[in-house]
Amino acid sequence: MNILTQKTWSPYAAGAVAGLLLILSVFLTGKYFGASTTFVRIAGFVEQAAAPEKVAGMEYFIKEKIKLDWQGMFVLGVLFGSLASASLSGERRAVPVPPMWEARFGPSRTRRWTVAFFGGAVAMFGARLADG
Amino acid sequence: MNELLTGAVTGILFGFIMQKAHVIRYDKQLGAMRLKDMTIVKFMLSAILVAMVGIYLLVDLGMAKLSIKATILGANILGGLIFGIGWAIVGYCPTTGSAALGEGRYDSLFGLLGMVLGAGLYAEAFPLLKETVLTWGNLGKITIPGALGVNHWIVIVVLIAAFLGVFRLFERKGL
Repeated sequence: MNILTQKTWSPYAAGAVAGLLLILSVFLTGKYFGASTTFVRIAGFVEQAAAPEKVAGMEYFIKEKIKLDWQGMFVLGVLFGSLASASLSGERRAVPVPPMWEARFGPSRTRRWTVAFFGGAVAMFGARLADG
Repeated sequence: MNELLTGAVTGILFGFIMQKAHVIRYDKQLGAMRLKDMTIVKFMLSAILVAMVGIYLLVDLGMAKLSIKATILGANILGGLIFGIGWAIVGYCPTTGSAALGEGRYDSLFGLLGMVLGAGLYAEAFPLLKETVLTWGNLGKITIPGALGVNHWIVIVVLIAAFLGVFRLFERKGL
């Protein structure tokens, strides 16, 4: 059986492979995996369009530098890697509301999407505060 | 090599692996928080287990550098609590949110947009936080072996034993 078209890998084996990928990344390029700084840069980029002078003076955006770098491409790459994997195994399909959510809170898309939006905002604020 | 290219390739491989492991879905993340499905914990601990051995080996050989962030108790604890609340609500972290979108679970798009908002709000609050929470209990760039004053391989062996114990427990309980 072709492992690339398989639906599921053991989480232990997949985790070990992810660990090897991190070792290789650190060895070859010195990069550790991360994602949340990219969201700061996107926020800065968007705000720049509306108020460039304000953003230019904001300490946090100066500290994190608004630019497309390794991490930005990593976050984008993750999306396409997942898309490729799900396409190969035939698992890629549009799911607007997660099943576990639907079982508890019903099928309303508006409700799920609104809650996801605010949950995401809270999660990212906390992640940045903890520097994760 | 071009860092944009290496970033993209690394991300594609990582996204591929995460999708195969089924760790990117809301149901899996909430499943772990509700202590019903430990798939993501198995994945994370396995990755840490392998990576800590390999990376410390490289560090000992002078072929890699650790990337240690400062431990600031106030910011780490408060930020961790806030992140936990948000994570339980959105059901994705930044990386899994991006991967979930690739798989077609597009409620994560709204989570990702919210994360951009949260990052922007943090940037607004940063000058205030820098004078307060971010100064509370700053222990600097410490590590577990450093704080304990022991060789890092002792810590690694203890952690491997602990992780394997946790895996056995998960399998016995069918989690």
